[in-house]
Amino acid sequence: MKYSLLIVALSACALVANTPKSTQTIGSYDKMSSIETQVIDIDTKVTSVETQVSNMGSKVTSVEKKLASIESDVKKAKAPNEEQVLKEDSDVRISVVGQGVAPMNTTSPAQAYALAKRAATADAYRLIAEKVKGVRIDGQDLIKNMMVTRSTIRTSVKAMVKNANVVETTFKEGLCEVEMEIVLSHAQFAQ
Amino acid sequence: MRSRDGNRSLTRTICSVVFLSSFALLDAKEFLISYRYVVKDATLYNEELHISNSMQKCIGKPQKSLILTSYKNNDLKEIVQRNEQKFIDFIHKLGLSVEHKEKTTNYINTSTTILTLKTTCFKVDFNDNLARITPLK
Repeated sequence: MKYSLLIVALSACALVANTPKSTQTIGSYDKMSSIETQVIDIDTKVTSVETQVSNMGSKVTSVEKKLASIESDVKKAKAPNEEQVLKEDSDVRISVVGQGVAPMNTTSPAQAYALAKRAATADAYRLIAEKVKGVRIDGQDLIKNMMVTRSTIRTSVKAMVKNANVVETTFKEGLCEVEMEIVLSHAQFAQ
Repeated sequence: MRSRDGNRSLTRTICSVVFLSSFALLDAKEFLISYRYVVKDATLYNEELHISNSMQKCIGKPQKSLILTSYKNNDLKEIVQRNEQKFIDFIHKLGLSVEHKEKTTNYINTSTTILTLKTTCFKVDFNDNLARITPLK
């Protein structure tokens, strides 16, 4: 009986001695698993950072493209004096704004608008003719006793304008403005 | 082609078709139209629109036509008067000759612009409520 009690006590002691070891192994397993999860998290973070970097790269290329287009626009804007030449493969669009005013003795605002619009249209036609065909200019100065007594400049245009389109008409404070444009193609002038 | 009753009915239908189509053709008239307006110092000075029946048959290819509401009226002058702005815009599209003169004496500027549509023949088809105006060039 005594021996059996001793054995039980010993086994109990052994159990007590073994228990911290098992907890230690469980603890090490937990640590391992937590490290693994951390590694997985880092991996996912790395992949997300990589995707962000690739997105940034695409954004940079798009910004570079935009910059190039802006640079070309700036170049075009810097050289406005370049004369447009009619080529076979491209059309030339000419845009003008004609101005006209209504006469003083109109009976209604509607009539004033109609008459001012007619005058503005004529002015726009004249501007198109001037741009396409050119202007004839004559000048005359009369000098008497070493002084200019009369200075005269005469300009004239004669042309036929077809297929001009009215883009916009505005009427403000008695002044009517008609924006008009004409598209010239090489075929129209080919002989 | 032979009809069931012989050739008589077929010829009758052909004749009636020709007769009716000739009536339709009779409704088309030709007019001579000219337009001119003068703008002096950016103000409209004078405007003229002349419409008259053509005494001779016009020769020319039909161009793009304009359709106006005729209000069951066969008088072109009245139709044009009722649709004035539309007709004037159409005339502008056909092409106007521009003549501009400007004079500056001792820094005082005067200008005259004349826009002209030279006398052009128009074929006009009057239907029930519409008038089709076709320029011939």
